[in-house]
Amino acid sequence: MNKSRRMVALQARAFAAAGTDVLLLDLLGCGDSSGDFADADWERWIDDLLTACRWLQARSSGALWLWGLRAGCLLAADAARQLDTRCDFLFWQPTPSGKTVLQQFLRLKLAGEMLAGAGKPTMENLRRQLAAGAAMDIAGYQMSAALALALERSTLAPPLAPGRLEWIELSNRTGDELLPASLPVLERWRAAGFVARAHALRGPAFWQTTEIEEAPGLLSASVAAVLQSPA
Amino acid sequence: MDVSTNQVLSVLDEVLGLGGRSASFGRDTRLLGAIPELDSTAVVWLLARLEEHFGIVIDDDTDGLTFATGGNLADFVGAKLAA
Repeated sequence: MNKSRRMVALQARAFAAAGTDVLLLDLLGCGDSSGDFADADWERWIDDLLTACRWLQARSSGALWLWGLRAGCLLAADAARQLDTRCDFLFWQPTPSGKTVLQQFLRLKLAGEMLAGAGKPTMENLRRQLAAGAAMDIAGYQMSAALALALERSTLAPPLAPGRLEWIELSNRTGDELLPASLPVLERWRAAGFVARAHALRGPAFWQTTEIEEAPGLLSASVAAVLQSPA
Repeated sequence: MDVSTNQVLSVLDEVLGLGGRSASFGRDTRLLGAIPELDSTAVVWLLARLEEHFGIVIDDDTDGLTFATGGNLADFVGAKLAA
């Protein structure tokens, strides 16, 4: 989340300027929130998200939107299943497979271990360690086995109560198309009754760039996506 | 899904920051060892991006040959999608 804070703050201000109330939250163990990242798990994060929804709904009227970035979209979709109100979704560069997200963390760990000369570990070994309940140190963060396994199971499945979905991807590839991996997921949400619009924009992958980068087009596109209902 | 060599090469282009150089690459273009930007760190990023782009999972089943040429890489991705 660290590299993304700037874009997220800019976006929140853009929404506020357009008359929308926005709550940005730091989940347990993240950012300014209390708790150790090592104690974080999916269920507690879902509780945090539900608490945040209730807080916001007590102070603001109008449609509730859950806004996720990357794996945050997985969390949002899972949490929505436990909301007693319908909600809409704004997804930035969603990762439709928690398994794939975990894969990147495991690969980072593998690369780190190889650099440290720890023989030749394999993905298989790492998965076995997780299954046995061992926490994992990845690039300085302690990830609990519970969190890793819950993440792995998460599949961006649409919640039961259909609403709107605004799906935005960013890339600097030639030809502004959605990722092939996104298409079946969008289909699934539409089949579940969601009015889903997908947008492929030009811009940097700001959540992972070496320097903090901004994607200005994303700001106006997100406000428009949320505030302009589909025809 | 049919995966074209072009699609795979455009992911490579983006990950390595080639700025469109891959437009002239093809199945026979040598990658690993021929493109200086493709070092071991870049391979990690490339695997991650291929997984995300195509919705595939790549475990310990790659070796030097996988990245030898554009064609090898495209065939590798194609096989994963067909699985």
